[in-house]
This record gives sequence, structure tokens and C-alpha cells, in this order.
Amino acid sequence: MKFKALISIMDVLVITATLVLPPHSSGQGSSQRIEIVAKRFDYTPNDVTLKKGVPVLLVLTSKDVEHGLKVPGLNILLKVKKGESKELALTPSQAGTFTGQCAVFCGNGHGSMKMTFHVTE
Amino acid sequence: MHPSIPIALVGAAFLVCGCKVSKPGVLETRVVVATKHHIIVGNKSQTNPLPYNQDNLIAGKEAFGHYCVACHGLDGQGTGVPFAAAMSPPMPSLASPEVQTYTDGQLKWVIDNGIWPSGMPASKGILNDDEIWSIVIYLRHLPSAGSLGEPEMYSH
Repeated sequence: MKFKALISIMDVLVITATLVLPPHSSGQGSSQRIEIVAKRFDYTPNDVTLKKGVPVLLVLTSKDVEHGLKVPGLNILLKVKKGESKELALTPSQAGTFTGQCAVFCGNGHGSMKMTFHVTE
Repeated sequence: MHPSIPIALVGAAFLVCGCKVSKPGVLETRVVVATKHHIIVGNKSQTNPLPYNQDNLIAGKEAFGHYCVACHGLDGQGTGVPFAAAMSPPMPSLASPEVQTYTDGQLKWVIDNGIWPSGMPASKGILNDDEIWSIVIYLRHLPSAGSLGEPEMYSH
């Protein structure tokens, strides 16, 4: 009887914890995962909002040729070959708007292949 | 024969011969260079926002290597480019005084907009601003002629 009561209490605790506590993230600590797809000559999405001090995991995937993503203000430099993905964990330390651009020459629209990162307080 | 026919024939012959590639004379060269430096090529006062350092020099060399080498060679001096000496207007060595006396802003303008009718294409949108400014740094620190060999595309 005592055993059954103990099981019931544990069930209640588990259900309560599931409802109240934030979901547990796997992988890079508690990183939010942001997937960016690069193809000639744009990024999807091309506008991303991050929060200052909150860690994120960027995943860059190329669909066609070798591409890159360079954002000097956020210390981001990724280069990825066709069909592959690369990850970068970062925690933005300053708020602002930052322009990212392709870091690998990829053809006649390379110079205009850009995206924007907004980092909010 | 109508009197205008010989004139038309001479005119046509002149046009055909005038289209042939030939080396410009000294006077023509001086006039064209002065016109480019003082009238055509703008952006004289803009300075390079990128500082000179090894990272930017390497970035400039890399960007130049992806895009400019087909005509200018790895060293910017036409080494290994089979048609470099046969172009008209002639393609100057990027280490020559004709090019090096442009300001940094003018070099950026030339890369952005190209120069008609030299064959130099406009590269705005093909290369981004950072890459173009890093190329300007590379142009200011070109290696000695022939020291980098010839572009791979011409050695196959």
C-alpha cells in the first residue's frame, strides 16, 4: 500500500515537473538551434533575431556550391561545401544589427549574397 | 559611278581597319591615361576603411585569386596570361605607375564600375565591398612579377 502511494506521489511530481519546468534541450547545453540554408545567391532565412547573452547553435547548410557566412561583428566565420552542414555555437555579447555575407566566392551574385542578424537586449 | 560610293568604300575600309587590334601610340596612351586619372575615374578622396594587416592582405590575395587572375595573373602583372600582351587597349601591369598612382578610392571605383572600352568589367555585386577593399590592399602590396607562377587554368 505504502509502495503504491509512493508511486502515485512520484507520478504527480513527474507530471508537475513536465508541465511547469521549461523543456530540456539536448546538444550544446541549452542552445537554441538556428538552421540557415545557403544557395546561389541567398540565405534562408535571411533575417535572424538573437538575444544578447543567450547561446545559440548556428547550422549552415549549402544546397549547391561551396558557400560561407562571415559576420565580423559576431565573430562568425563558416565555410561549407556543397550538400554539407557546419555548426557554430555562439553567445552574442552585444546588441545591434549585423550584416553577414558569403565568405566563399560562389559566382556572379556572390557580392550581393547577404543576410542580417538582429541581436536584442 | 555615284561620287558618294568611293567615299563610302573608303569609310568602310577605315572602319574595318580601325577595328583591328593594334598598339596605341605614345600620344594616345598619354591622353587616355590622363583622361582616366583626372576625368573618368571618380571616388578620388575615399580612403580604404580596412587597415593594412596580414589578415586583410591574405583576404585580398584570396579574393583576387578567385576572380581577377584570369586576366591579371596571380601577381597582378599578367604572368602566365596568354592574351595579356595582345589586348587593345593594352592591359597595364597592376604594379605599374599608371595603376599605382590611382588613389585607393579610385582603385575601388575601377573595380566597382570597370573601365570602358578597356575590357575591365564592373564587379559590383559580384564581389562585396570588403572583398574589393581587401583587393585594393593586395594591389598595394603585390608580389614580384612571376613569383607566384601562372594561373592554374592556363597550365592544363
